[in-house]
Amino acid sequence: MDTASLTSTALHRGAEADLSLATIGPWKVIVKHRVRKEYRNPILDAQIRHDRTISEASLIHEAKTAGARVPSIVGIDIENNTIVMTHLTGTVARECLDDMAKSEAQKLLRSVGEQIGLLHTAGIVHGDLTTSNVIVSPSGPPFIVDFGMSRRSVEPEDRGVDLHLLQRSIIASHRQNPSSMMNSMIRGYEKTAGKKVASSTWRKAREIARRGRYFAIR
Amino acid sequence: MCLGIESTAHTFGASLVDSDDKIVTNVNSTYRPPVGVGIHPRKASEHHATVADDIVRKALSAPDGSSLDPDVIAYAAGPGLGPCLRVGATVGRALSTFLEKPLVPVHHGVAHLDIAMSIAKARDPLAVLVSGGHTSILVHAEKRWRVYGETQDITLGNLLDMFGREARLPSPGGASVGREAMKGQNLIKLPYTVKGNDVAYSGLLTAAATLFRRHSDLADLCFSLQETAFSMLSEAVERSLVQTRRSEVLLAGGVAASPRLREMIGSVAEDHGASFHPVPIEYSGDCGAQIACSGRLAFESGIKVSTSDSFVTPRWRMDEVDVPWIPRA
Repeated sequence: MDTASLTSTALHRGAEADLSLATIGPWKVIVKHRVRKEYRNPILDAQIRHDRTISEASLIHEAKTAGARVPSIVGIDIENNTIVMTHLTGTVARECLDDMAKSEAQKLLRSVGEQIGLLHTAGIVHGDLTTSNVIVSPSGPPFIVDFGMSRRSVEPEDRGVDLHLLQRSIIASHRQNPSSMMNSMIRGYEKTAGKKVASSTWRKAREIARRGRYFAIR
Repeated sequence: MCLGIESTAHTFGASLVDSDDKIVTNVNSTYRPPVGVGIHPRKASEHHATVADDIVRKALSAPDGSSLDPDVIAYAAGPGLGPCLRVGATVGRALSTFLEKPLVPVHHGVAHLDIAMSIAKARDPLAVLVSGGHTSILVHAEKRWRVYGETQDITLGNLLDMFGREARLPSPGGASVGREAMKGQNLIKLPYTVKGNDVAYSGLLTAAATLFRRHSDLADLCFSLQETAFSMLSEAVERSLVQTRRSEVLLAGGVAASPRLREMIGSVAEDHGASFHPVPIEYSGDCGAQIACSGRLAFESGIKVSTSDSFVTPRWRMDEVDVPWIPRA
């Protein structure tokens, strides 16, 4: 589809893309445009933006088919590195997690775990799973968004990266107790991914955390 | 005045920093391995032991020849190469005992950030630490540096050094690769691995080394290696900056001397309305001044150790150290 003629209002400036809001027929849509990065070599830049636009659109669609709470793809404009998807109503988890009571936060993390389990079972890893990419919905389970770093993979290593990144974002950006949050998450994850996958993924996540520099061998 | 002693890897250094955070003296000597060979820990430590006396004497002399008296002795307790760390710690203990001045253990990575922050007058930045020992993206919260992103395998300094050795370029690899890269133009496709805010460089090293052995053009290869490796880090920094919403970006560590990396991280900062503070090139690499600067701040926060309890820690993570002096006034 051609997004150049679409009238849209700027909504959010992310790390690699600009999000804006537009209307197509009766639907409110999000237009995600991957912008040129000045710091990056032009050839490398074009290649990264092109590859990620295509991969993100197809993986969001696959995730939807697998029953996960993600936006619906309305169209893609490959020439302009742009994806159009349905607008979601809710609050970014990064903004509201710390305002929640512990039990409410645990409930949220449990359903985030269920969503990740659905993705992993469908052979999709998110690749950038932080509380900024979880949208708390007033009507039903939370949405998982931003599949720009996602890949098809069933490797425990890649699945482990997802849980590791989520854990680190909780430690680095939130006041909620990280181990209680992650325990709830794992319970939800077990429900949709199964006990076996859950234990191998969690083991891998802890191993990845220890891979950082200068962890003493204990 | 605080005397700082650095000896974590290839450099033995001593420096005095006064109570106004001014660097009074900074004397360093770096062990250079032969071309194609890495740092041998024992040989580096022998170098340190040989130069220590002279370096400390010079650091304790004012330009007019009079001698300066430190009030505090700080030494780099880690992370680093065991034999090298022990030389600096031994010198620190001896001086502390002889001069009857308190002894302060310093984390080398924290010290890289402290000196960069002191010079830039940065308050509470998103810190990017790139060296042979670290490749980390950090923010300070609740007394400690928190790792927002880091390398999952080798550091950026390792990558450039190891490729430099493979290509028989003189040490340090970063500077040599940078020089060659200026002559390159064609971008060769190399593995680009970003996992969330983390990067992984080992696949990139293997691919670049293999292409070198297959006689790819060295200048193009250095150009492509630099563009790919720095783009990966810049992307991770950009993600972290958006997530943490800091208004300052600090770039510190040996690889911060790279003009191309400064340009790229600077562009990311500017793009998101943050001020950019790269460490001055003369203080980017390992030096005594970083230890003196960090030691002074630590001592003012009440951190010190008795000679008998003093230690070295070859493995010591940034997020295991209490750094109560940040945000800086």
